[in-house]
Amino acid sequence: MIDRLRGGGARARVALRRVLRVARWESSRAAGGVDRRTLAAAVALVAVAGGVVGVGVATGVAGFDVDRDVYRVGVDPASPYADAVAADPSLRAVPAREAALGETTDATVITVVAPSSDGPGDGPIAAARVDEVVVRATDTRKGAAAAASVREAIEAHNERLMRAEPNETAAFPLTVTLRYAERSGGPADGPTLGGSGGESATGGDGATGGESATGGDDATTADGGSAAADGGSDPAGDATDGNSDAGDTAADETRDTAGDTVDSETEDTAGDTAADEDEPGEATEADGPAVPPVGSGVFGADTTGSPSSITPPFPFVSLLLAFAFLVPMNFLIQAYGSSILDERTNRRGEPLLVTPLSPAEIVAGKTLPYAVAAAAATALIALAVGGGALSVVGVLPVAAAFLGATFVGAMFARSFKELTFLTVGVSVLVTTYAFVPAIFTNVTPVALVSPLTLVVFDLQGEAVSAGQTLFSTAPMTLGAGLLFALGLGVYREEDLFSQKPVTRKLLDALAVRLSPVTASEARLSRRRLRALGSVALLTGCAIPFVFVAELLAVAVLFALPVTVSVPVLLVTIAFVEEVAKSAGLYAGFERGVFDRSDAVAVAVGVASGTGFFLAEKATAVVQVVGLTDLFLGRAAFADVAGLSGHAPAALAALLAAPLVLHVVATTVAAAGAVRGRTAYAVALALSTLVHAAYNVGVVSLG
Amino acid sequence: MIEVSGVRKTYGDFAAVVDSDFAVDDGEVFGIVGPNGAGKTTTLKLLAGLVEPTAGSVTVAGFDASDPEMRRHLGFLPEESPLYEEMTALSYLRFFADLYDVDREVADERIGAALDRLGLDHRERRLGDVSKGMQRKVAIARSLVNDPDVLVYDEPASGLDPVTTNSVLAFTRELRETGKTVVFSAHNLYHVESVCDRVAVMNEGRIVARGGVDEIRERHGETTYRVFSDVAPAETPALAGLDAPTEAVGDRHRTAVPDMDAVETVREAVAAAGGEVVDIRSREPNLEDVFLDIVGRPMPGRYAGDLDAGGDPDSGGDDATDDRRSTEVAE
Repeated sequence: MIDRLRGGGARARVALRRVLRVARWESSRAAGGVDRRTLAAAVALVAVAGGVVGVGVATGVAGFDVDRDVYRVGVDPASPYADAVAADPSLRAVPAREAALGETTDATVITVVAPSSDGPGDGPIAAARVDEVVVRATDTRKGAAAAASVREAIEAHNERLMRAEPNETAAFPLTVTLRYAERSGGPADGPTLGGSGGESATGGDGATGGESATGGDDATTADGGSAAADGGSDPAGDATDGNSDAGDTAADETRDTAGDTVDSETEDTAGDTAADEDEPGEATEADGPAVPPVGSGVFGADTTGSPSSITPPFPFVSLLLAFAFLVPMNFLIQAYGSSILDERTNRRGEPLLVTPLSPAEIVAGKTLPYAVAAAAATALIALAVGGGALSVVGVLPVAAAFLGATFVGAMFARSFKELTFLTVGVSVLVTTYAFVPAIFTNVTPVALVSPLTLVVFDLQGEAVSAGQTLFSTAPMTLGAGLLFALGLGVYREEDLFSQKPVTRKLLDALAVRLSPVTASEARLSRRRLRALGSVALLTGCAIPFVFVAELLAVAVLFALPVTVSVPVLLVTIAFVEEVAKSAGLYAGFERGVFDRSDAVAVAVGVASGTGFFLAEKATAVVQVVGLTDLFLGRAAFADVAGLSGHAPAALAALLAAPLVLHVVATTVAAAGAVRGRTAYAVALALSTLVHAAYNVGVVSLG
Repeated sequence: MIEVSGVRKTYGDFAAVVDSDFAVDDGEVFGIVGPNGAGKTTTLKLLAGLVEPTAGSVTVAGFDASDPEMRRHLGFLPEESPLYEEMTALSYLRFFADLYDVDREVADERIGAALDRLGLDHRERRLGDVSKGMQRKVAIARSLVNDPDVLVYDEPASGLDPVTTNSVLAFTRELRETGKTVVFSAHNLYHVESVCDRVAVMNEGRIVARGGVDEIRERHGETTYRVFSDVAPAETPALAGLDAPTEAVGDRHRTAVPDMDAVETVREAVAAAGGEVVDIRSREPNLEDVFLDIVGRPMPGRYAGDLDAGGDPDSGGDDATDDRRSTEVAE
């Protein structure tokens, strides 16, 4: 045993040494491949760009205040509202005497002062003397927006003054505490995708669930009073409260409960925001629906709280900074993909294949410099934007996915032109997968399907559990590893230098992982069972990709009303899973690994379906973060959710049902695959329908 | 040193190599010749472990060809040898020596010796900036950095000018003298004839002849005779029964015949015409004649159906598995 361990250690050291040699060579090649002048020009360009942005940010000329000084507002410097205007970055104060509406200003604040025995005076106007404030704006969309901004600025100013008041009770005579209760009903209880907590925030929403209707109503009442008094008073930066309005889950609930001890503003956040968008002049009418019915009219069935009808509080700056992590990846994959393809061009890499190095060592060595560069760039960006280790942990799986997908693309591409197409495709896909869900970071746990959400959390200073981290990073990490394994299967002379279409290369890459299954062999012979095991393993390895595809589908369809998203999702998931189970079988038949007979089709169909079923159970990880608490999450992962609390017989039936489904559907697809491409396409459609029907049944029963 | 036994390599339905058997001794230079697509390159890749046989076994230096350890004993020169053009010859060769775990000092010594012998001076120039002949020499030097026992060269003189070709062929002959076992393929039969101890002729994926160059020539080529006379031979019945074309060469007439009996027939025909034979010359066949003769014969197809239905030209030979014991041509 010890000798074996020593032998393994020695082999690992040799492999590491070889990998490092190739990596060192690849680094020098990559560096040598860039002309020094080009490199110098690129460095200079980056330095200039960085310098300009840096100086801009440092001096306040540039930065993330993209709406700075958008509106010119005329206001008397002596007016108490001058401070409110000055404090709002989107407003630029113009002295009242210079103000000409429509020419030098977009809006003008006219302060009507009550007559005083002391006369007008030259000093500042005391607030107590203000009799009326009138905001006049140009009759344009910009004027209306300027007026709305002035109103918001004044509200924010008032809020600051109230908060500065030493007597809190006097400033806020009414305190409303919101508590969110767990929804106990099934999916049919509410059509929202986003979960259960937010209805109370909409005010008067007892019909949708009643979890905190009282609170909601009270809040509305209080809010109404508040609005009447001061036109609403929500501080602009209260994103967390705004989030509570969209309302979701336990995670949000915790934050909201803690944050809403004084929260007559809570309702205003959504209400004002919504109102501002549609009717700036009615922004103080906070009693209306907190979420505007955008989109619900189109699909007809939504009531409240659907993501199609909310304005989520986008973590704009954090998202922007998180996106910065993805930028270097796009450059890296271009260099990496070119390097891999360069080995394949004119058989340049053939001599490497006759060295003692294994293909895995060659690929690891060639990949390592780019992985290190990605890690270094990630760490530097994290340092620059104030991220921590969590940001790096979140971005590295994305980098791995970029590299893994590019490797496969470069292995399959026949030319640099095709490689460019593939790397752009990789970039778009991975960026979409990473970025789109992260937009919903503060809205729903669906966002955690993207590792970039961890970055956003990190930049927002929010804690993330180990389970959430695992949930976010594992699928991409596993997927990247499997992509490398897929590409490595064809990193051999026979495939490396051949000019086959991408689809045929993919079939080759799948078939190379399979062992022959013949019709003449004894059904239970050890060799045959091992071969069927390879079928099950290959299908099982597809699970991370299935998981990623399904999560992406959830994230993309999340924005649609459930009446549309759920049926589409169920069919999409059925299709994705049936392709995952049967693509390898089709490759096996096409490449002659499997004998073309119905008996073999049944055998490999059963093996593939079983392998998928077993691997699918691994997706129980979705429960770690409570994704199955969502309606859409339950629809997508019903097989692994909600198994607890059943009788043993029912549990066995629940477990057996998906097994039977996968075996039957995959056998149908295999029966088509054995007969060729067209028959496979038809059989795949049929198995997808069977699977989709099953999914609909599960969701209906759920 | 090399044993190839019952090897078949198929790509889908197509058989690149069909039931190939041969062995190569230590220190031997073994040539593989054949027309384009005969299966020469695939055979060399099988020896180098670059492709795995569909059936049969390949053993090189005591290792199965798929064993990575075998590659330590092998130097391979592919037909095309595009190099990493941004590297210099020296850095390129050092890199490969590194991959074989060769000490830097030993590596530099080997690289220096190989480049000196090959006459390559531009060691610090980027490989993209040197001629194709120089690049080929660097590729040959690369095959030697690990001091291998077996060298597998695919068309080593392909695309080179005559001077460089001669230099490469001379270098290959020297390798034999240093005890290396060399297997190489070539289109140019002169190269094979001038360097190889033994030859295998491939056609349609099959080895259709193998043995010493002289033996193959003797077996497959026949000595022909040319009879020169001062008048054209008379058209006698005996001469009409021969395939003996006559053509005028200057003031003489030349008649080519296959054997000495035919020479006598021509002599009689010339006498009948009133003339006499002034000269008789014999002509030995070269490998090219043999090659053209062999590859001109009909062969079974190489697709799955053909292989199942058609006969295998090698299968009839009892000695097919050991060509050292007998130089019988497997047909």
